[in-house]
Amino acid sequence: MSTRTSAVARVSRTFAASPERVFDAWLDPEKVHLWWKASAAAAGRGATETVERIHIDAHQGGSFSFLVRRDGQLIDHTGTYLEIDRPRRLVFTWAPRAIASPDDVGPLPPVNPDSPDYSRVIIDIVPSSSGCEVTLSHEMHPGWKDFVDRAVNAWRIMLDAIDEPVSEVPAR
Amino acid sequence: MNTSSSNLDYTLVALADPTRRGILQRLSKGEARVTEIAAPFAISLNSVSKHIRILERARLVKRRRSGRDHFLSFNPKPLDETAAWIDSQRSVWKARLDALAESLAAEDRAAATMPNKRGRSQP
Repeated sequence: MSTRTSAVARVSRTFAASPERVFDAWLDPEKVHLWWKASAAAAGRGATETVERIHIDAHQGGSFSFLVRRDGQLIDHTGTYLEIDRPRRLVFTWAPRAIASPDDVGPLPPVNPDSPDYSRVIIDIVPSSSGCEVTLSHEMHPGWKDFVDRAVNAWRIMLDAIDEPVSEVPAR
Repeated sequence: MNTSSSNLDYTLVALADPTRRGILQRLSKGEARVTEIAAPFAISLNSVSKHIRILERARLVKRRRSGRDHFLSFNPKPLDETAAWIDSQRSVWKARLDALAESLAAEDRAAATMPNKRGRSQP
């Protein structure tokens, strides 16, 4: 299945660090602050994005808030931890939202999985000889995924029927 | 969310409802009149019209008039745009993992340059 028709954004990477170190780096506010800033800088936003506050309540059902100011706009990346299985698996809901004031930060009511805003991130960590292999999957609204698979395939079938080539994106 | 976030929101809201997904399924097989669309669903024409308006708002459905008939057709472009947004999300997460790897490597390098701080008196 190509990423073009999938509602899951997935990326894998090897790390030279142990599974425990990588896992803990997601739940340690100081570490999150460092790599968040570094990823903003790598994206060219080093001057326009500041990390205002990182709050992490690292237990199942606990919430987190990565509050960032980007181009003057406050954006709270917030969610709830659904699974914390150190050092193998970390699952949390993910809901970035623009807010007006830092006082608007706070635990949000759980998002209904049927809502189009629902998305979750699944981090799987597998030990390897050199450290570990991390796979991160960002899942969008599940109902959407089913539709896209069927409807886009139907669309492609229609296009094939009128002899228009559709190039296939290789599966990742 | 990116600058076309309202388009993305309209698309996601449109796709979040099973009746609307059913309507799009039907239209992805070909054009249809509004009355033909309503037939398989056990809901009023009024309800179907509300669903169609939400689909039109997302530009997933286009309407053409021929005489008194209104024909609806499926427009996949918003799905392409949503797929492109998902791809961009992948890039964003890749960058975060890269930054995480680099920060852990930097910790290792810092630890390697502090070998003798313990057990030795400093001048």
